[in-house]
Amino acid sequence: MSGQQDVADLLADQLDRLLAKHVDREALAVIEGGTFPAALWKQVDDLGARSALVPESADGAGLAWRDAEVVMRVLGRHASPVPLGETMIGAALLAAAGLAVPEGPLAIVAAPLTLDAEDRLSGTDSPVAWAPVATWLIVAAERAGRRFVCLVDREDVGLAPVKTYGRTPSAAVRFDAVRAVALAPAGRYVDPLCALATLRSVQIAGSLEAVLPLCVEYANVRQQFGKPIGKFQAIQQLLAELAMQTAAAQVAGMYGCRRIDSGAGWEGVAIAKIRAGAAATSGAAAAHQIFGAIGVTDEHQLHQHTRRLWQWRSEAGSELLWAEKLGASTLAARGASLWPSLVDRPRW
Amino acid sequence: MLCRIVNTASRFQAFEIPAECAPLRREVRAFLAEASQAWSGWEVGHSWTGFDREFTREIARRGWIGMTWPTCYGGHQRSPIERYVVIEELLAAGSPVGAHWVADRQSGPLLLRVGTDSQKERFLPAMARGEAAFCIGLSEPGAGSDLASLRSRATHVDGGWRLSGRKIWTTYAQHCDFMIGLFRSGGPAEVDRHRGLSQFLIDLKSSGIEIRPIRDLLGESHFNEITFDEVFLPEDQLIGREGEGWAQVNAELAFERSGPDRYLSSFPLLPLTIDALRATGAPDRLSARRIGESVANMVILREMSLSVLARLEAGETPLQEAALTKVLGTDFEQRLPEVVRELTDAVPAFSLDDRLAAMLGYLTQAAPTFSLRGGTNEIMCGIIARGLGVR
Repeated sequence: MSGQQDVADLLADQLDRLLAKHVDREALAVIEGGTFPAALWKQVDDLGARSALVPESADGAGLAWRDAEVVMRVLGRHASPVPLGETMIGAALLAAAGLAVPEGPLAIVAAPLTLDAEDRLSGTDSPVAWAPVATWLIVAAERAGRRFVCLVDREDVGLAPVKTYGRTPSAAVRFDAVRAVALAPAGRYVDPLCALATLRSVQIAGSLEAVLPLCVEYANVRQQFGKPIGKFQAIQQLLAELAMQTAAAQVAGMYGCRRIDSGAGWEGVAIAKIRAGAAATSGAAAAHQIFGAIGVTDEHQLHQHTRRLWQWRSEAGSELLWAEKLGASTLAARGASLWPSLVDRPRW
Repeated sequence: MLCRIVNTASRFQAFEIPAECAPLRREVRAFLAEASQAWSGWEVGHSWTGFDREFTREIARRGWIGMTWPTCYGGHQRSPIERYVVIEELLAAGSPVGAHWVADRQSGPLLLRVGTDSQKERFLPAMARGEAAFCIGLSEPGAGSDLASLRSRATHVDGGWRLSGRKIWTTYAQHCDFMIGLFRSGGPAEVDRHRGLSQFLIDLKSSGIEIRPIRDLLGESHFNEITFDEVFLPEDQLIGREGEGWAQVNAELAFERSGPDRYLSSFPLLPLTIDALRATGAPDRLSARRIGESVANMVILREMSLSVLARLEAGETPLQEAALTKVLGTDFEQRLPEVVRELTDAVPAFSLDDRLAAMLGYLTQAAPTFSLRGGTNEIMCGIIARGLGVR
């Protein structure tokens, strides 16, 4: 267990250094303009992170989600310039269904599709992050009540590029009786929606972790009324609010990962996404208030984080939709069963 | 570079309560299922500010006070995690634990840490039996958020100390047996500030003490103003070291700020609200969203609280994480009564037979204190900001 954590920490550290070296405001602007950073992707992929969540029996690193969480958080801290998170969870989903993990970047289609008797997929999803540049799409589909994990060649799918807040290359995808390259019944494992929602929760935590020190530094440096603005209680309240939301998002992301590891239902994922999504909203608002007008300029790096916060809170089910699902499920049982359901394992 | 090097990271590690605690949890829950039958919605709303000596003695009889203390002092030598299980069950049910809350959470642990052997022998077993109720004397009429400006004075005299001055907002002083009070034993507040403060253990029956209950907006009297008029204390009533009072008080704070009492005060509303919504037939989307948010919020707060517990148990002092947890937790417990209003069209009137309305009536009016007690959230946020490295 701790050995796995060491592997994850090492991987996260390598990724952190690599991204710190290559990803700055200008590099992100190029990526957001639609140019895939192929050289950076190759270097990231060479770290071996794509198989972090793949079992050792399938030649992966065999990390648990709770261990790999730190890798996903580092990715979020650097504004996720490459589809590493999607590729990691896509590989995990394929491996869990006994399918081989191909080369090339993966994108996740979180909306469930239908699978017909001839193994053809139909349905739509939008926006799918990284779809325009991915080699493969990982898809969940249902046939007669059974769930399948499918590998689809991106070239076989109808794509319409969409603009998103986050400006990660994204597309609306359309499956008109598309034949999967490979498919297998989904195991007991988490489905693409839950996996992606958890990834987004952890990325939100990472993004807030990057925003917080920017704000602290600005509060210490920016002078008004003859002193650093951090001397003002009003600014201190905002910094504290941002720190609280950052902490809550971090704990939420870790919680979601642990619930996935435990093989429990979707509720843990919902809890993580609800709390991280709310943290994205409040945290981004506090950060912008601290920075004032400079923070909304194109030349400042803050928006490269806050636009992603607004993107990620809504992707893979917004915090509002997950809250509705969790609330409906909570309301299906008597009030007296709420407390036991929260503290007695293993349900949540 | 996108990430500059300013270390603002808070550290929260996952911690799960081990399965071995399940029988203890069941035992507490079974007891509460019986005991809670008699409590009205108004009473349950009081939660850890409900003062009931009889209930406290029963809790003590079951071994649930001083759980982590050594058996030689009347404790039960159980783990902090077992204690956490017991107190979160008690609070989730809104139990009236006020008659032992301060002793169990703060005063007992303080004595264990810095008290003399004779202080421990005299007070800890009485606390653990539920027979010594403690309060904490910190705030003064002129020293609230700016606690270090306090002026109540302890003067060294032959054979002991003389206390004079006033304390205010002291919860349940009128019912308690003892106070642990912070007094100035060194130079004046203008000069010494955090230095020169000492903690004393005060028998509230001592001559020269006058306790005046302060009626609050609910028509109840939970806090008090206390006048010390040349109150004599024997030498051995000093706690810890003279002049170390500020540091001793601060060492307690991570415990005080991160417990389940900082996010569960309004929790008993939630099950009743769920039942009220179910009774309307199909709950609407807004109701589902608010309930879902509340549940998620609570689960993550509990995760944060448990994470702090694990670090405290490992001998660390995660003050920053505890402060973050307290502000988020008290926000949540203040928000919950408003969520109930949003979803149930509750009217601002209550009769004893409407449990939810009575509980909501109490909690709506008590909620302002949640972000005041134990340090206002504004003071907490200043502490957090300094912890982040704001210069």
